[in-house]
Amino acid sequence: MYLHQRPSKFSAPLAPEEGSVSAFYLERVEEENEEDVCSDQAPDVEEERNDLGDPAILSVIQNTQVPRQRGLHGSPGAKALGTLGMSQASLRFLCKTEKASPGRWRTVEGRKHGLHSCLEGFAKHWVKSLRGKGSLPSHLTQLHPQHQRILLQQRSQTMSLAKKPWSLKPDTYANLMTRKEKDWVIKVQMVQLQSENPHLDDYYYQEYYQKLEKTQADKELLGNRNRAESLKLVTPHIQKAEGYESVVRIEGSLGQVAVSTCFSPRRAIDAVSHGTQEQDTGAASSQRLRVLSLIEKMFLQLLEIEEGQNDGFPQLYHTGEQRNQVEKLFQALKTQGQDNLEETADSLLQVLSVRKGKILVARLLPFLPHDQAVSLLLYITYHLPLLILRDMADQALHILFKPLGKYIRYLTFHQLLHGLQGLMLLPPGTSERPVSVFGISLLYALLSHGEQLVSLDSSLQASSDCAAWTDLVILVTWEISQLPTASLAEPLAFPRNLLPLFCHHMDKQLMQQLEARM
Amino acid sequence: MNYMPWTASLIEDIDKKHLVLLRDGRTLIGFLRSIDQFANLVLHQTIERIHVGKKYGNIPRGIFLVRGENVVLLGEIDLEKESDTALQQVSIEEILEQRVEQQTRLEAEKLKVQDLKDRGLSIPRADTHMTRQRLST
Repeated sequence: MYLHQRPSKFSAPLAPEEGSVSAFYLERVEEENEEDVCSDQAPDVEEERNDLGDPAILSVIQNTQVPRQRGLHGSPGAKALGTLGMSQASLRFLCKTEKASPGRWRTVEGRKHGLHSCLEGFAKHWVKSLRGKGSLPSHLTQLHPQHQRILLQQRSQTMSLAKKPWSLKPDTYANLMTRKEKDWVIKVQMVQLQSENPHLDDYYYQEYYQKLEKTQADKELLGNRNRAESLKLVTPHIQKAEGYESVVRIEGSLGQVAVSTCFSPRRAIDAVSHGTQEQDTGAASSQRLRVLSLIEKMFLQLLEIEEGQNDGFPQLYHTGEQRNQVEKLFQALKTQGQDNLEETADSLLQVLSVRKGKILVARLLPFLPHDQAVSLLLYITYHLPLLILRDMADQALHILFKPLGKYIRYLTFHQLLHGLQGLMLLPPGTSERPVSVFGISLLYALLSHGEQLVSLDSSLQASSDCAAWTDLVILVTWEISQLPTASLAEPLAFPRNLLPLFCHHMDKQLMQQLEARM
Repeated sequence: MNYMPWTASLIEDIDKKHLVLLRDGRTLIGFLRSIDQFANLVLHQTIERIHVGKKYGNIPRGIFLVRGENVVLLGEIDLEKESDTALQQVSIEEILEQRVEQQTRLEAEKLKVQDLKDRGLSIPRADTHMTRQRLST
């Protein structure tokens, strides 16, 4: 009919595979019955409009936007159709054929909204079907929506001003590459993509796809239509060759054949140097290197632990596994260098002297059970002056403050005292007390805790520990007042019960000095 | 059929006209007939296009098998827009002549710059001149 009589009006770069565009349109119309493309009921029209978030549709529609008031340039429908390269009669024809099949097509003529909304629906249908069938080149579907819109606009423009009649002369050399061959290439490419841990290897795609699915699920809840699901790249699960024998003996042959696959190319002649044994060139540097490599290994374990937590797996399964890992890591921290007893105590100190070691401990603390965390806290408090000294270059101790701070309240009074006494000792070889933000903050936090314990538990006040406590507080306040103001840095957290504590033990003059400084 | 969503694949480009830029600077235009996993390309009805200034010339070359590692980039040619170009097509002989001229000009320029450099002078180039100006103000 009309469609067939006017092939020149159709320029369809979009579907060169199909014989003729008209056939394409017809095919679409006949097949897709379930799509509610055209309706003239007001609520459905609204529905259509809401769904017109689709920018591709918008682009086509925008081209056809003609103010309804002006009737001078013909009905909006006609203009719109012109853009699509069809005539009114053609569209009417399409609508009529659809009417024959069960669906909600109505006659479109004569309705004010009808033709336009029918067109919108049709355009949407058209683009969607193009996308679904892949007639829209896939590189288009993956573009930014704005970009898509522009391209589709251009296309629709060229369709309306078709310069040449659409004639790609039948390509006699087409399909030299058969479908089988194409599938083979794709299979090879897919095999290269498969991985055991896609969340690690292909992080960005996985995250993006999850986000996409989430928004679609949300849209599905809000909107009523079931949008076409976007495709996901699914790699075929092909078993990788497990083992690899570099040398293969073929039965009945003399000698051996060297074998290489694309996953395991021929092994190079053993270029691995067995390495000179570690010479004692500078025990200090090798010691440092050992500490650094130890930190790296522990960090990898820590990352595994953290990842196990982030994955959101059912907790029941993982806590056992996780606890094992954490325990192992803690032991590694505490007891390294078992051959030399002297080193055992120092290893944690050495780890903490390195910036990365501090970060490691800070990140491990949330995973540790309370008693182990407390022991770490005590250790750090006891060795604080030395740590501060070694931290002068890095200035990284403050990282530890927050995680440690959480465990201060688990300290018993006795432990606290012991720790603080160590804290007040001067490190060997120095005459001045090293001061740092971390040190001050930790000190304040510990003192605050001590004060809390003392005020709450009256039995403590009578014990011998209390005398030691009072001495300690006096010493601390005296030291603070002695320090030049400049080096008295702002603590990371200032507990509220400190001033009364100092009040309690000090005389007025000292108090005034202290108040000025804090 | 969308074989590999979210990836770049040459499968969909088969039997379409492409422009291929090679590592040695040549520009080939032909129909992509076949590929493999290394992106080796089989180009059909290929022409080599030489550009000199605003002119270009086509040398028909036939069938090409290009090793994948030598391809810098390739892109599909829109058949409708192909003729929409401001460039002027000339004959092969002329374009080859033009190219030779261009080469000699460039070499002369290079020698000049080198000579000046040896003498400790430098001709301000458009890109460096601006920055010098900006620095002085």
